Amino acid sequence: MANDDIRALSEELAADPASLAFVPLGEALRRRGDLEVALRVAMRGVERHPMRPDAHDLVARVSADRGDLDRAIAEWETVLQLAPTHGGARKGLGFICFQLGRLDEAAAHLGAALANDPEDGSLAAALQTVKGALDRHAEAERATVAVRRVPAEAETAAPARPEGRTAERPAPEPHATRPTIGLPVDLQRPEADAGALFDDLLEGQRSAAMLLDADGLVLAGRYVAVDGRDLAADIGAQLSGVSDEAARAMRHLGLGGWRQIVFETEAASVAMAPALDGVLLVAAARPIPLGFVRRVLERAAHRAAAWMEGTR
Amino acid sequence: MNAPFAHLTESLIRHRGVLGAMVVGLDDGIIVDSTLQIGVNGNAFAALTASLYRKARRSAKAAGFGHTSFLELTAEQGRVCTAGGRELVLVVVCESRVNVGLLRVELLRAAEQLP
Repeated sequence: MANDDIRALSEELAADPASLAFVPLGEALRRRGDLEVALRVAMRGVERHPMRPDAHDLVARVSADRGDLDRAIAEWETVLQLAPTHGGARKGLGFICFQLGRLDEAAAHLGAALANDPEDGSLAAALQTVKGALDRHAEAERATVAVRRVPAEAETAAPARPEGRTAERPAPEPHATRPTIGLPVDLQRPEADAGALFDDLLEGQRSAAMLLDADGLVLAGRYVAVDGRDLAADIGAQLSGVSDEAARAMRHLGLGGWRQIVFETEAASVAMAPALDGVLLVAAARPIPLGFVRRVLERAAHRAAAWMEGTR
Repeated sequence: MNAPFAHLTESLIRHRGVLGAMVVGLDDGIIVDSTLQIGVNGNAFAALTASLYRKARRSAKAAGFGHTSFLELTAEQGRVCTAGGRELVLVVVCESRVNVGLLRVELLRAAEQLP
């Protein structure tokens, strides 16, 4: 949404504080990254319209972006009390429960959302991802073998847990055959779930690829740290906002649509490209050449397009 | 008075396909120094690219990837490359045909001279 639209909505709200313009205004501010302002707008909206599900949904969305997961959960639960079939609330709760490692609850919320909207391919894919994680978790619990120990020196390649995410996760799983960004891999037993969609493209390098929907939720792929934890949801949520910023810039620069963003950091090279309604993201540990990352991105884009076509 | 960063922007714009080179305040997106070809809207590129770089930097840090040193945005009709220090960033606007590998090396080298 352009600045002019935001200004118009602000003026409309100023002229009539009881107006429902706070909903699109708050959402536009959230998408622009002005989270504190968005939260103020949303909270005022809830005060005036406490029985409106979309007001509580807005507070929940902004809270989730701010990392305030407790508030987001509370608000989405309120939404469900007011509107039991609200798909956005189910989807949001599913996402947060997945982040918190509450996989059963995540599957229940996403399943309910999908029942309400069977045509939503992103929901089906997200549910598939959660079910895959549930299966792996159950398998890990059954396993009697000790979890493979990672050499201490490899720990340095693991990304730090994103700020504000302190919730417990499922126990590390014995994923000796899965590609990780922290370790070289053995691809003798690639798994056939959505999480494994890009595994063979990574060629055993310390890298990861994932497909995110427009809300930053993981549709496919994974980001496995050296300890076996899948950080795709965290990493995806943090980085998906970059594509929104790029899209905003493109509207003003006269260069057409964006095709690719590449950025280099201390720990990783990251490449992103628009994919369907979301974004495709590839990350690789820094010693891996940038050219490899770009190449994986291009090949993953073809894979993602074919996979999405198959899930429709 | 000589522009303080003219030697950086002038060396970058010599590359084939480069349309403009700017030193930009990271926090405000305002041009500090620039060498631009006629027709390039430096102010818009400076503001929006600095904003994108800030966003990428914040996101990468939150994801645990550490400090961001280089960013390249490829669009249908051109590219924008950015590398930066803590206060200032270099922004280069280019055509699609530019040699990105060479430009990246030059950009990172030049960025070392920024505060």
